[in-house]
Amino acid sequence: MKRVDAIVIGAGPAGLSAAIECAKRGLKTTVFDENSRPGGQLFKQIHKFFGSKEHKAKIRGFKIGEELLKEASAAGVEVVLNAVVSGIFEGKEALIRLPDRMIHRKADIIIAACGANENMVPFENWTLPGVMGAGAAQTMMNLHAVRPGRRVLMLGSGNVGLVVGFQLLQAGCEVLAVVDALPKIGGYGVHAAKLARTGVPFYLSHTIIRAEGKNCVEGVVIGALKDGKIVPGSEKRFDADTVCLAVGLSPQSSLCEMAGCLMEENPAKAGLVPIVNEFGETSVPGIFAAGDVSGIEEASSAMIQGRIAGIAAAERLGFISKDTLKTEAARLEASLSKLRAGMFAPQNRGKNLEKTEEGCPVSMNLLTRGSLDAEEIYLYPGARWPLLEREGKKAPKIYPVIECTQNIPCDPCGSCCPAGCILVDEAKITALPAIDEAKECAGCGLCVASCSGQAIFLLEKTGAACQITLPLEFLPLPVEGAKGAGLGRRGQRLCDAEVVAVKTGKAFDKTNLLTIKVPAQFAMDVRFFKEEK
Amino acid sequence: MRITEHPILGTPEKGRGVKFKFDGKEIEGFEGEPIAAALRALGVMVHRKTKRFGLPRGIFCAIGRCTDCVMVVDGELNVRTCVTPLKEGMDVRTQNAGGRGAK
Repeated sequence: MKRVDAIVIGAGPAGLSAAIECAKRGLKTTVFDENSRPGGQLFKQIHKFFGSKEHKAKIRGFKIGEELLKEASAAGVEVVLNAVVSGIFEGKEALIRLPDRMIHRKADIIIAACGANENMVPFENWTLPGVMGAGAAQTMMNLHAVRPGRRVLMLGSGNVGLVVGFQLLQAGCEVLAVVDALPKIGGYGVHAAKLARTGVPFYLSHTIIRAEGKNCVEGVVIGALKDGKIVPGSEKRFDADTVCLAVGLSPQSSLCEMAGCLMEENPAKAGLVPIVNEFGETSVPGIFAAGDVSGIEEASSAMIQGRIAGIAAAERLGFISKDTLKTEAARLEASLSKLRAGMFAPQNRGKNLEKTEEGCPVSMNLLTRGSLDAEEIYLYPGARWPLLEREGKKAPKIYPVIECTQNIPCDPCGSCCPAGCILVDEAKITALPAIDEAKECAGCGLCVASCSGQAIFLLEKTGAACQITLPLEFLPLPVEGAKGAGLGRRGQRLCDAEVVAVKTGKAFDKTNLLTIKVPAQFAMDVRFFKEEK
Repeated sequence: MRITEHPILGTPEKGRGVKFKFDGKEIEGFEGEPIAAALRALGVMVHRKTKRFGLPRGIFCAIGRCTDCVMVVDGELNVRTCVTPLKEGMDVRTQNAGGRGAK
């Protein structure tokens, strides 16, 4: 039986990060992954990540995946693909199923980074072809370049549902609605707003009653929920050919359980997880857990957890000193705690927050239909300049309106502005971005492209008209002079609009800047453009 | 159903075009892509019928977990088409019964 120093289960963000830290410190490290490609779910993530620069904010997930793979190969990590770890036995022995045989490996350290499973929800005809996991839809369109369907209904308004919903639009599918049994949108408001402004409706406190069709989905019926029951007469039918289920993830912790780790059922971690210490070590010395397997979070946190576990593993085997571990882990923990803050932090799950950290009211419109009211925008610090203008005070000729109204861990807007107009507290990246009135906006648009939530718009008043620069990640790109509609935050047609400029640039990383001209009175209302021929 | 140009991912990189058989009919896909992707691109939804009730099943998890998308490939039963790469000349058939005694 072959021996290695460390076995890592799973080549996703947590596993690769853990393996890199182990190998860098001299541990002979092997990663086993059941898939034919490494990277876990990262290669399906085509949106820009949140967080800070140290968390690889504003870099798209698949790019982060590529970077991790490079780092792993430079560190000398061995990655074995198509390899299912079927069991962990006493003495840190693992049984691995390869396509043609079973093998044994023994190690001194095992790091379980097995990720999560998609949850499912049964309803009448939920087994019909066309009903699929949101992750499945993502796999089909982003990895295999095949649309999962034409007209999609999304069940679940958490970040997975919202992000995949947007990706479906990018792939050229129609998203008929986002439905959620909860009374409020679960994911980031900015993700919801991206969908809402294209016209996608939200049905909160609704659920799917049934899918219809003989051999595949030909329609889906939803209904309003009250006290856990369908309200009679509230049924609504959609002409959908696809239903995507984005109803949460569960830690895939069965291997930890099998290895004899103490487990707990923890709702804040979304399921059954191994109990771990600050380094991710389970109750079995030398067995670590990192990433979604030890509690559902974002890939950004998984990568840091993986790194901490990898460094701690090196210390356990004597490759580094206790002091080195302490110093390095403290730095990473500080980075992790920046991500685990704000309204969506694990400790705030399920809480009813009515105010932001700044004391601004949380918009119920945003939480129930995915869009703010124009009037509400002025309540937030990112709309300082239009507020001054409305009050008849001096405002620059061109300025950004930042429609970021929830405390989420993200700060690229604060660092990208060459003029220094946008302020985000570096120590507390969940703070709402604010405007430095003393600075002058040059209108470069870097903030528009840098905002992972696509929540920044540039406004420039020119007499009776206003030019609005907005982020655009759809094809076909309109050309200069194209005419169409200026859409409001709910996707409603407000006025005629004309394209004045389309800017693409390497620094924008595929977030194109579309500048449209609309009548000045719609400056604070128009947030999207739809070409009309 | 194929995405030819994606706003973020650009032009998809695909293997060479290959011919294969689906229920005896010759159709085309790209070498190396999952069989399931090639079938969905052509609008095929039903991969198998369940053994007891004959109910249709198709792509559900797309990562080789759920086994809803299994088909008969080159005579072999229960092949997970979402994680099995397409090869030239493959014979892919709708699986009309469970593992044993398929018709």
